[in-house]
Amino acid sequence: MRTNHRVRVLAASVAALASLPMSRVPIAGAQTETEVVVERARPQREKHSTLQFLKQNRDFIRYRYDRLRQKMVAGRGDAGPIDPRYLAYSRMLAGVLAANDSIAAADDSRQSQLLLASITDLGGLEAQLDQMDRTLAEQRNRLGILQEDFTGHQETALIVVLSGDPGQAALDSFTFTLEDGAKVEVAVTEEQRESLRHGGALQVFHGFVEPREQVFEVAFGGAGWPAGDAGFVTLAPERNRITLLRLDLTGARPAGGAAGVRARTWLHDTGPAPRDG
Amino acid sequence: MNEHRSPSSRAAHRFAAPVVPVLAALLAMATPGAAREHPPFEARAGLELASAAAHSWAADAVLIYIENDEPLGSAGSTPRWGYLFHSAERDQGRAYSVRDGNILMAENLPMRFEAPPVGSQWIDSGAALAAAWQAAGHDFCRDHGGQLSTMLLMRGAFQDEDLESAAWTVIFTSPSAPSLFVMVDADDARVRRTWRG
Repeated sequence: MRTNHRVRVLAASVAALASLPMSRVPIAGAQTETEVVVERARPQREKHSTLQFLKQNRDFIRYRYDRLRQKMVAGRGDAGPIDPRYLAYSRMLAGVLAANDSIAAADDSRQSQLLLASITDLGGLEAQLDQMDRTLAEQRNRLGILQEDFTGHQETALIVVLSGDPGQAALDSFTFTLEDGAKVEVAVTEEQRESLRHGGALQVFHGFVEPREQVFEVAFGGAGWPAGDAGFVTLAPERNRITLLRLDLTGARPAGGAAGVRARTWLHDTGPAPRDG
Repeated sequence: MNEHRSPSSRAAHRFAAPVVPVLAALLAMATPGAAREHPPFEARAGLELASAAAHSWAADAVLIYIENDEPLGSAGSTPRWGYLFHSAERDQGRAYSVRDGNILMAENLPMRFEAPPVGSQWIDSGAALAAAWQAAGHDFCRDHGGQLSTMLLMRGAFQDEDLESAAWTVIFTSPSAPSLFVMVDADDARVRRTWRG
């Protein structure tokens, strides 16, 4: 869970927090949605230990590493290999420029050919259109490569949204806490409450999370919500996918606390567009 | 061999025959956790998942240490491996324990531990253990009633030379003799050295 990234993402989310229409919140098919329980108490989990040898012998191992750091070591300063993709990008760019030139030349030629009403020129025109088709196909191929290189790899992420009309429940703030203690607090404005009443949704968290079962803490603030109250949601975000969690405030009763809020989760598909041609 | 049974014992046998499997099945259903076996695997099989989690935690996380979290089999597999990553940006270590293709637990290492990264080129635990058995492990276990205890992959801590590559350290213990340590080069499965301690 990269805090810096989270803060950046959250800042963007909060800035754009104003009324995200429900239709823009990515919702998968109903068959993939799962209801999750917001529990009143943090679920107890079985305790396991890890790296026992390291922990039992940490003083010795740390001593060895300290000794190692003091030792002069002849190191090599070789430069690393250049990623071949970066070399390919310049060739792709040259291809794009060449394609532009040929399209421009073909366009000029076509303009002049428009003046010629000869039937025999139609064959040449067709050949030029074929060439433009090929150029477009090559361009789509280049875009596909760039998309795979830069957007194809989805890391494990979680998006949390609030939705539903909170009715008389005066929701002023929302707090989302990850298992490692990282906390995100969002103030909810009157404009945003109004948006919720009209079917909008508020994105309150979007960040990287570990692909494992973990407990997230949710807390609502405002008049009527019990002070210090929190609910606990257990999720197992799937690796390299975006998991969405929707907390539905419809009919929420502040007196019942966060555990009275309905929650649903689903996976969002964001695979790259299929490569053309 | 003739077997004599009284009518009552035959009746009991006829009754017990279908009932015993049913009871066993019911007992197994009643205690699914206790009956469940966790399949063993070699260290590299859990690395991808642990790395994915580590990079969610910190973009600059690097693998610095691996250790078996549950008893090892003789082929270098265990149902649970622990992977330790270090983030220079966070100045912290975080461990992931992988079992059944899931991260069973994650925790920040409650100590400062700045080990060099082990890199990506290393032989798996099975090959390392095979070399350790052959070099000294078999003799030690036979002579001292010893057993395989621990496998660690790291770089530097037990090495006095050839520090640029990682090494497996295989530890055999015995109730009657000092433990046997076998260090196996993680590049080529060559046994670098053995010692007792």
